[in-house]
Amino acid sequence: MERLWRGALPPVLILALWETSARTGAMTYASLSYPSAIVRAGANALLDGSLLLSTWQTCQAALLGLALGSAIGVLLGSALGLSNIAQRAAGPTFDAMRAVPSVALMPLSLLLLGWGLAMEVSVIAYSCCWPVMIATSAAVRGVEPRLLEVADALELTPLARLWKIVLPAAFARIGVGVRIALGIALVVAVTIEIAVNPRGLGYALVLAQQSLKPDLMFGQILWLAAIGFALNAVLSMADTVRGAP
Amino acid sequence: MTYLRAAMLPLLFAVGVIALWWLVAWFRLVSPVFLPSPERTFDELAVRFADGSIWLPLSATLERMIVGWLLASLAGVALGAAIGLSPLARDFLSPTLEFLRPLPASAMIPVAILFFGLSEGMAIFVIAFGSVWPVLMSSIFGFGHVRIRLREVAILLGMTKTRFLIKIATPSALPDILAGMRSGLAISLILAVVTEMQASLPGLGRDIFLAQRSFRSTELYAGIVMLGLIGVLINQGLHRAETWLLRWRPQRQ
Amino acid sequence: MTLIGGDVADQSEGVAATATPALRLRGVCARFGAAVNRPVLDRVSFDVCPGEFLCIVGPSGCGKTTLLRLLAGLMKPSAGTLEFEGSAIRGPSRARAIVFQDYANALLPWRTVEGNIALALEGAGVSREGRAERVCGLVKKMGLETAARQYPQQLSGGMQQRVQIARCLAQQPRVMLMDEPFGALDAITRQILQDELLALAAEQGVTVVFITHDLEEAIYLGDRVIVLAANPGRIAETIDVRLPRPRNQLTTREAPQFLAHRHRLFGLLQGH
Repeated sequence: MERLWRGALPPVLILALWETSARTGAMTYASLSYPSAIVRAGANALLDGSLLLSTWQTCQAALLGLALGSAIGVLLGSALGLSNIAQRAAGPTFDAMRAVPSVALMPLSLLLLGWGLAMEVSVIAYSCCWPVMIATSAAVRGVEPRLLEVADALELTPLARLWKIVLPAAFARIGVGVRIALGIALVVAVTIEIAVNPRGLGYALVLAQQSLKPDLMFGQILWLAAIGFALNAVLSMADTVRGAP
Repeated sequence: MTYLRAAMLPLLFAVGVIALWWLVAWFRLVSPVFLPSPERTFDELAVRFADGSIWLPLSATLERMIVGWLLASLAGVALGAAIGLSPLARDFLSPTLEFLRPLPASAMIPVAILFFGLSEGMAIFVIAFGSVWPVLMSSIFGFGHVRIRLREVAILLGMTKTRFLIKIATPSALPDILAGMRSGLAISLILAVVTEMQASLPGLGRDIFLAQRSFRSTELYAGIVMLGLIGVLINQGLHRAETWLLRWRPQRQ
Repeated sequence: MTLIGGDVADQSEGVAATATPALRLRGVCARFGAAVNRPVLDRVSFDVCPGEFLCIVGPSGCGKTTLLRLLAGLMKPSAGTLEFEGSAIRGPSRARAIVFQDYANALLPWRTVEGNIALALEGAGVSREGRAERVCGLVKKMGLETAARQYPQQLSGGMQQRVQIARCLAQQPRVMLMDEPFGALDAITRQILQDELLALAAEQGVTVVFITHDLEEAIYLGDRVIVLAANPGRIAETIDVRLPRPRNQLTTREAPQFLAHRHRLFGLLQGH
């Protein structure tokens, strides 16, 4: 209880100060709106469906990008994990490619694919494939050697070996990589929308700012923070469930 | 012999990738409007280094990135120390921070524009906001996990709080702080590029954005290669610094 | 040996205070949290004379470590009194140094051996030169010359424990509280360190409370051995060792009196 009100104190204090200073006209930033108006604008946008539509567009891109990126990451990671030669040969090149900031590829994918879902998905996929690749290669390397001996004894083909033994055994640890990638996917999606792509939550945010609707803008940010918070909560819940014996 | 081969392998792979790029461009499988050949891309880069025209955007991006990152690191370590060492500070601050943390840093761009306009200050605020989180989280962990024995040693030696902070807590949290700062630097590069595009501030990010708009694909590719190079170099540099600062740690296998 | 600057003053104090014991415990009880009806220590009383080497043995769970933490001032008793040189123990003091069993956790991994020893001198009003001199002396005394510039994790367990002892000596304690300091070391290293410790204690005139679960170690080192029984922790027996000093790893351990003590303690610990 004690901790609850302590935690609530700073935001409540800031909001109260914000609200009163805006209403009494003490605040010099006329364009900053105030908390009650922000909540009203956010609720309106939620009710008329515009917020949900842009949320859907962002999530769609994030999930498609995550799926594509994870698939690529699992493929690359399996190759690196199964073969020492592949790891040694390709590792440094991939490290260098990984260092290219994902947003630098926005203009490139815009050049190749134009505005729309495809360019957004491609950049998200690029950002998501690296953590999954790293997790997969580590997971594949960590597969119990006994299981591999079983695969040898059964004389499985390399593909059957990967599909039937290695990937299932590495599943949980690959999942960790995918979960990291999920967080990245959402962030990159919003970033692309803010910077170049006219769709989704990020674009709605820029639009609200440019059309001088700070109440709507802050309402959307609140919504975005809530989504991120919920996502984090779900992920850490999955963590505790998985952690339990 | 085997050693030589081991050293050649990664080089061969990299050369192979570039050769593939070259072949695709040479046979015009993709129009040069979309994919210039590697030699034209590297030529472009070499020319821009030679005539010095790359230095202005390069230094602008680096400066923005480093200033934002340093501010974030300072704030992250200070807040992390407070939250990690004091349960009271944790109670008051961490719920608010937990709510702000999942917010994509780029979403702060419109807010920052509201406060700072399309200025350098806006960019630095956004960069710092985004790169503070890994430093903050790892500092909280580091300061919160000072070994109990070392706390007791400090008590037994009658150390003051400040002495404990300087001599025990900070060095003890240093490995975590540095790891967080490394992640923060990668984020700050990303956000430097994004804010340049968004606010049209001079820098490599704006340059590749403009190159794309006017279909100057060679410049675009050169810019991307340059940004990748920065990414690799800063990561390497920080890694070196980390190894040196943490030289007391037993070598990992 | 004038390694420890305050030697002269300490000794004069010691002479004047022979009547007051270095440590005095009366009816000390300790409980943890909710286990109110099962105290860890139940009405423990004993005195430790200045310069005495007291060993405390007992089975695990008899509250040995709790007792040491009470003496150090890291914990407060739930009942009873603890005195150090005639005044109540209210908290930790530089005059009572503690040597932990887990040396690896008690040393600063980012400081060299010299740096770790110097830690005890920083903020104690010792000048930079004085500090270097004292550290140098302790490095020599503990046989750490070759390791002086190395980091703890590069050293063997025995060397790391030497560093911890050196750091404790650097704070010029009048009482050294040692919590199974050699428990994690191999047999040979342990014997070497036992002899080094005895020599140090005799030379410095420091009072030592030494906790161990090893009967022979207790008899070999101690002027007196207190046997604790478990559940609740209480004194089962006190033995005056009366073996001649300096002690010797071969002859002392073969002395009939040593064996008699060993028999008796073994029986006591089995009985409980």
